[in-house]
Amino acid sequence: MTASATSTPRFAETREFLQQIRTRVGKVVVGQDVVVERVLIAMLTSGHLLLQGVPGLAKTLLVAAVSKTVDLAFARIQFTIDLLPSDIVGSDVLDQKTHEFRTHKGPIFTNLLLADEINRAAPKVQSALLEAMQERRVTIGNQTYPLPAPFLVIATQNPVEQAGTFELPEAQLDRFMLLHRLEYLTPAEEKEVLRRNAALGVRRDGKGAVARTEFDVLGDQAVGSSEKLVQAMEDVQQVHVSEAFLEHCVEIVNRTRKHPRLELGCSPRAGISLVKASRARALLHGRDYVLPEDLFALAEDVMLHRMRLTYEAVAEGHTTQGVLQEILSEFAQ
Amino acid sequence: MRVRRIAIVAAASCFAAIATAQARDERTAAVGMRAHIEQIVLPGGELVAAPAERAAPVVLRVLATWPHGDRFRYDLEWVGLEVGRHDLAKYLARKDGSAVEGVGPIEVAVTGVLKKGRLEPGELEPVAPRRLDGYRTDQIVFGALWLCGLLAILFVGRKRRRRQAPPTPAPTLVDRLRPLVESVAAGRADDAAKAELERLLVACWRSRLGLRDVKADAAISAIRAHGEAGALLRQVEAWLHMPSPPAAIDLEKLLAPYRTLSGTDLEPVAGREGALVR
Repeated sequence: MTASATSTPRFAETREFLQQIRTRVGKVVVGQDVVVERVLIAMLTSGHLLLQGVPGLAKTLLVAAVSKTVDLAFARIQFTIDLLPSDIVGSDVLDQKTHEFRTHKGPIFTNLLLADEINRAAPKVQSALLEAMQERRVTIGNQTYPLPAPFLVIATQNPVEQAGTFELPEAQLDRFMLLHRLEYLTPAEEKEVLRRNAALGVRRDGKGAVARTEFDVLGDQAVGSSEKLVQAMEDVQQVHVSEAFLEHCVEIVNRTRKHPRLELGCSPRAGISLVKASRARALLHGRDYVLPEDLFALAEDVMLHRMRLTYEAVAEGHTTQGVLQEILSEFAQ
Repeated sequence: MRVRRIAIVAAASCFAAIATAQARDERTAAVGMRAHIEQIVLPGGELVAAPAERAAPVVLRVLATWPHGDRFRYDLEWVGLEVGRHDLAKYLARKDGSAVEGVGPIEVAVTGVLKKGRLEPGELEPVAPRRLDGYRTDQIVFGALWLCGLLAILFVGRKRRRRQAPPTPAPTLVDRLRPLVESVAAGRADDAAKAELERLLVACWRSRLGLRDVKADAAISAIRAHGEAGALLRQVEAWLHMPSPPAAIDLEKLLAPYRTLSGTDLEPVAGREGALVR
């Protein structure tokens, strides 16, 4: 690599900051490097992330670890069927002393919001959250309040146990820049998890004690302030995107729209997300320019949830994953 | 008292006169048609219809009977069975069985619509009976037509279409790569052509390294790890994607092996380095 922006002190500082986040999170969460990368991409590009995986893959721990590492305000909402929009955005409440209404802001007023099992809430609640995600402000009563910056929603959903859930429609899935599918750890990683868990010990609490969890391991000291995060976000904007890369993006998005097995191809927002996420990934990999490998690495997370198979393709047993791999393979053949 | 009796008789006579004025008096009818003679006053004791004879040309019924002073008033219904003039009095009898005397002739006329002497209304015309069978033939014919239609749909015009549109062989990777290399070497390639060239170079090495069935991101990683292919890919990426490409890249030298590429050069190499420089 020749002399470029990556060799400037500012870029080096940003790289070190991002590497420190990954190292700190890696001390608590084992073997989820790709997920950590996706969370950082979402943070650096102000996108939102949907994590799909079975319970017990340390989704909550991961998000909590990232928020503590960067010194961001963190809130978690467990979505249930009886959740109301006001439980998320807040409401006007009557003050008994002053006999006046005062605004009670909901948990959405935070930097990093974990929406756990988003598909368990009613569509009314889902759309309230997704509107806030899109507009980055909420209206309570007659007042509109901007959400804090940075504002990032990391939602999770469980691919099994679909009874009593409300599947997010394509239009709402499109609001998420990335949908990452978590997989089980490798046996070696799982062994490391068990080893670390066995060494956690007990935490004294007054006269009693409780067994320590991974959350107790999280240090309160952040590796960098939100200022550094803002600097990193600015650096992402400096990552060069070549005309050839844009050609690749347009071509691949267009192929999803023309594929005979796809009823719904990717929207222009998918192309935008692909470029934004590729820039952040390039920075995370120490480059100040994007490469086709960024596109290939992110295509599944950016594009898959924006595609829908035709009825015939479903009947023939095809999957969107298979079709996307076919498109990506044909893309360079 | 006498005055009262006179008044009753007068009223009865008056009612009878009114009823007689409204009564039907049908003396002519066609064969087989009913006709009525109402409110007819006949002298003597009460009369009833005489027992009908099988061959009688007229059938008579007494529908109603009323006393009318020392006589009786009747409503009669008759049906004529033979053309001609007939006396209905012949078909009456006294209720008490005494002889019918003093009853004048009650003449009626029976007319016919057929010619005289003709008993049947007309010759029956023969009508073809409805078909009761023969469906098997229809089914065979219909089945044969359906089969002909099916064969026509399947085969008619197919050969002609096949002759009209000979399959055009898809351009090979080499066919697509060579003009792009030439245009890039000549400095004529636009951004789309450069992007296409990058994709085809990756495809070329995917083919050579047997990575066609490997996932795209894994294939890129494998190509990067390969000695010759990795070096080429890095240089092409630097040329295309870096904000300020290094001046050391000699594009003409880099693409020279691909200007004379043949199909056999793209066959997967097994157990040896896939050098393109011959």
